[in-house]
Amino acid sequence: MLRKLLPWIAATLLVAAVVHVATVWLLPRAIMHRVITRMAVLGLNEIRFQNRPDASVRGVVRPSPDLLYSICAFDLSAGPLRVRSPVPGDTYWSVSLFDNATNNFYVLDDQQAHATHQSTADFVIAPQGSPATLDGLKTVAAPSTQGLVLFRTLIDDDRKLAAIDALRRKARCAPLHKA
Amino acid sequence: MRTVLKVLAVLVVGTVLGLAATWFTVIRGAMAGGVKDGPWRTSLEAGSNEGNMYLRAAVAVHGFLALNRHETMYYTANTDSEGVRLDSRCTYRVKGNDPKTRWWSITAYGIDDYLIPNAQHRYSVSKNSVARDPDGSFSVMLSRNDGGENWIPLVRGLFSISLRLYNPDPGVAADPAHVVLPIIEREVC
Repeated sequence: MLRKLLPWIAATLLVAAVVHVATVWLLPRAIMHRVITRMAVLGLNEIRFQNRPDASVRGVVRPSPDLLYSICAFDLSAGPLRVRSPVPGDTYWSVSLFDNATNNFYVLDDQQAHATHQSTADFVIAPQGSPATLDGLKTVAAPSTQGLVLFRTLIDDDRKLAAIDALRRKARCAPLHKA
Repeated sequence: MRTVLKVLAVLVVGTVLGLAATWFTVIRGAMAGGVKDGPWRTSLEAGSNEGNMYLRAAVAVHGFLALNRHETMYYTANTDSEGVRLDSRCTYRVKGNDPKTRWWSITAYGIDDYLIPNAQHRYSVSKNSVARDPDGSFSVMLSRNDGGENWIPLVRGLFSISLRLYNPDPGVAADPAHVVLPIIEREVC
């Protein structure tokens, strides 16, 4: 009896292993795909300035109510993307890049920017294998064609909200070369 | 016919087992690289760009779009300092001194991981907004009833607290399990 069942048990475990490995591999990609697809409706390769998170914000879990998030979903299939933003002088700020499997492949914060005398962050996201600079701008190689650019600007004092918000709205994501 | 049924059973049972394994290892599983410091938990791997596919999946599920620990350290507490689950029926006091970091904030989240709706629109207390005692320490109140200056209103159900450290001191990022962090005292229930 057991002899007869053994191949079926082995087959069941094989199916389980394949399903398990496939879902673990797919999970981050599926999560990112959902976010990029949702953002693509509004437009890829352009920046969205999200309102300050409050209890009505139900997109990404555990948003910080002390940050202003700006986000652009990118797709490099038509060419590299230029990312530009003023760097605030006295509050935490960062721009972070995520590939299609949620890997954070680049981050620059205000302290690093100021340490290299950048009052404006200005760089290009390009496919892997691109030159180190394009049009005189530093390139960051993206491991995948699609991904996300996420800016965080800290509201370190509510009284400064209007000024902090005005400055972060100067950030831009746009194709390096207009089609 | 019997063979077809057996193949079907293999596929169905195998798929269920495979999904269950993913559920327990990744979705229900603790955040990869987790460390504990009192009631606070954090992960060494948030915002990481390396590691195996399990780590990748766990970071995507539990720390989606999170930054690495030199940018921000995310500590989360689901319990008070005695290990009892945080519950809106009780009143809590988060007591301590400024953690060694450029900036910090304490935020409460509902069981659904979103900010807790409240008429006062108060969701967090931070380094610059906190009212300090004369000795420089602070206590943040989490309660349904008015908790004064450093109050984060609770509404109902279980909740959790996030402590974020922005640009933490290098020693904090290097050894997140041994950082002096605020304690979470349960008062009345």
